[in-house]
Amino acid sequence: MRRRTILTLIGLTILNLSLAQTQTLTVYSGRGQSLVEPLVKQFERETGIRVQVRYGTDAQILAALQEEGGRSPADVFWGNTSGALGRAAGLGLLRPLGDSLLKTPQAFAPASRSWVPVTLRLRVLAYNPQKFKPEELPPSILDLPRFAREKGLGGRVGWTPTYSSFQDMVAGMIALHGEAKTRAWLEEMKALAPKAYASNPAMLDAIRAGEVDLGSTNHYYVVRFRRAGYQLGMHHFQDGDVGNLALVTGAGILKTSKNLGNATRFLTYLLSPKAQQYFVGNVGEYPLVKGVVTDPNLLPLEEALAKSPRLDFEKLPLEQALRLLRELGIL
Amino acid sequence: MTLRLPHLPGLLPFLVPALLTGGGVALPLLYLLLRALEAQPGALQEILLRPKNLVLLGNTLTLLLGVLLLTTLLALPLAFLTTRTDLKGKRFLATLLTLPLAIPGYVGAYVLLAATGPGGFLPLPRLEGYWGALLVLSFITYPYLFLSLRAAFLGLDPSLEEAARTLGLSPFRAFLKATFPQLLPALLSGYLVVGLHALGDFGTVSLLRYETFSYAIYLQYSAAFDRVYAAWLALFLLLLTGGLLLLEGFLLRRLFLARTGKGAGRRARAVRLGALAPWAYLLALLPVLLALLLPLYALVHLASRFPRENLQGLSEAFFHSALAAAPTALLAVGMALPIAYLAVRHPSPASRVLERLAYLGYAVPPLAFALAWVFFSLKSLPFLYGSLPLLVLVLSFHFLAESLGPIRGALHQVPRRLEEAARTLGETPTGAFFRVTFPLLWRGAAAGGALAFIGAVKELPITLLLAPMGYSTLATRVFGYTQEAMFAEAAPFALLIVLLSAAFVGVLLWSERRF
Repeated sequence: MRRRTILTLIGLTILNLSLAQTQTLTVYSGRGQSLVEPLVKQFERETGIRVQVRYGTDAQILAALQEEGGRSPADVFWGNTSGALGRAAGLGLLRPLGDSLLKTPQAFAPASRSWVPVTLRLRVLAYNPQKFKPEELPPSILDLPRFAREKGLGGRVGWTPTYSSFQDMVAGMIALHGEAKTRAWLEEMKALAPKAYASNPAMLDAIRAGEVDLGSTNHYYVVRFRRAGYQLGMHHFQDGDVGNLALVTGAGILKTSKNLGNATRFLTYLLSPKAQQYFVGNVGEYPLVKGVVTDPNLLPLEEALAKSPRLDFEKLPLEQALRLLRELGIL
Repeated sequence: MTLRLPHLPGLLPFLVPALLTGGGVALPLLYLLLRALEAQPGALQEILLRPKNLVLLGNTLTLLLGVLLLTTLLALPLAFLTTRTDLKGKRFLATLLTLPLAIPGYVGAYVLLAATGPGGFLPLPRLEGYWGALLVLSFITYPYLFLSLRAAFLGLDPSLEEAARTLGLSPFRAFLKATFPQLLPALLSGYLVVGLHALGDFGTVSLLRYETFSYAIYLQYSAAFDRVYAAWLALFLLLLTGGLLLLEGFLLRRLFLARTGKGAGRRARAVRLGALAPWAYLLALLPVLLALLLPLYALVHLASRFPRENLQGLSEAFFHSALAAAPTALLAVGMALPIAYLAVRHPSPASRVLERLAYLGYAVPPLAFALAWVFFSLKSLPFLYGSLPLLVLVLSFHFLAESLGPIRGALHQVPRRLEEAARTLGETPTGAFFRVTFPLLWRGAAAGGALAFIGAVKELPITLLLAPMGYSTLATRVFGYTQEAMFAEAAPFALLIVLLSAAFVGVLLWSERRF
């Protein structure tokens, strides 16, 4: 009996020591497991820090963080959208970051200073290259309904009203052009009897299959379709047009984190050239630091940064956009 | 025997777990109320008076009615053909016809989208919106009704129908007047599960773009990060489900009063199909083809493009799924037994409320169910948070409703005189239950466990939020890949979900054999 007690004690001590020695980090990720897990593993190998990740959608993660409150075990929130990160900042869930982190990316550091941008995606117009020549496509997404009417594309335009990036774009339109103009644009689009898709790949597949001819989407979906060998056109509107809206992914450290050192290391790692190269090569996203080799499907970084209008991405009027979409019966 | 005070001490072993379970299921309802009450008065008015609510209500109801009708058209003749006729190979057919249970709804919807329309491998127009949702939901949920009706046909006393025939009724009218009323309880309990699925499903309706309440709830969480409006929509949905539950309970109660006791169970003579047999096979082939072979073909086709180096993740996810689902099945049965026992043996308003509550928990949108448990477990059981036992507990609370049906059905068939005899011989209610009743209903319990297992393997939001950190299951891997539209990578995981669940479909049919 006594021997067993001693053995148990020894066992517990060893367990304790090993726990103290392996450093751990808890990440809540709205980014997909299939895309970012290899990068997390690489971070573990290089630093010896054990990373535990809870994967979900931004919304699930944000809801869970709110329900967890002050007892959250999470150290880092790695988000897919600046909207969710801005929401987390607005709710006071994130801790302000230092200059060394915030100054690393080339652009898009948020006013709240509580999360750091990691990669960039752009809204683009995907189209069937057999139907249109690149030069005839409209210079602004605001002209898209007129263009479609002139080309007789009724019922042949795709869109994804339930997708968060589309909603961000509508919010961006409200911020840049006001609600009245946005409402008019949505009504004109509706008059074209657009086909609504639940996901971007479904819409791109429909463009490929000839079910619709064009649709606004995120650039990396087109890149992935092209890498898989499918012919799809990708059109950037003129510089500063809301149809090119930048969609920024990023990460922040939670106020509840008791693991500040490792959390900061993780964020720094995400902005290292190695990790940024991973995002270009494996995910098809734009890097936000210099010195990364880009892909022939992507624009040079300087050009890409000039495409998007400059907005306060944390404070896009998303609520207003959703209300408008609901009011018009689109959502 | 109703639930009167003198019985209480003897019934405590049933009452305590039943009440605990009821509490566990009711917690998420409380949570939804808490969140809903956070609404600002102005915003609340906008929420409640939105015209869209009526559209959602209309859509939800039309889908519900359509699914109930179509599943009846499939399940009723098929259950009859595979139990009461001389159809060759009917056991094998019954297995095939039950297997679609193993296909997750989101897989069915994806296959429909991939197979039809321009570019699809079937020369059919793409079915989306109402008709697509109706088709997919009906073909993946009809097995619940099919199993329930089969059990009823197998337990049917043929003497009633024979009496009706001797009184001069045609075979069809005799079926309608004598047999059909006896099938109603099975029909209703099947409808309940099918209806709860149709009301609560969001995977299928979101893929096929048909806006129901659960789709709107999902959108509120995912697009607007709006917990408050989502809570209100969930409460609307629960109101609707509550109505369905009350209706079923009401119809069932009236029916039990009208039902005559069974004679000695004699097996019914098999109906000769003769020249009709080919048509019967044709009818059975339809769901097998559409709900089983087509999804399997699509999955295998996709999986053949799977990169080989990920095979290790496959076995880990398989093991994790089984490790969460197996104890869930056991616990769900353990929770369902006392509730079913009290409802069947000691019917009273209180025991009925408890039983209906278990179903209502099943109708709470899973994401809200998971968030409620994140909230409450960190407040009261922080040491359990992020552990496998908590995941199993919450999954059991959610899926216990699926176990309830078969257990309730089996309990109805155990003659209560046997239990009473045991009581007169000096057994306590608990002793009588375990020594006499349980050995007779354990096949029903196995069927209930199998249903909970299949449900838990497919489940997603609860697993994502409550599983231990880094615990990937088959369903979370499917989600992780489809989130990024990597369907080929997702396919082997989806295929394993089907395989793992299919093993338990066997249990369901085996449990039909009588003691």
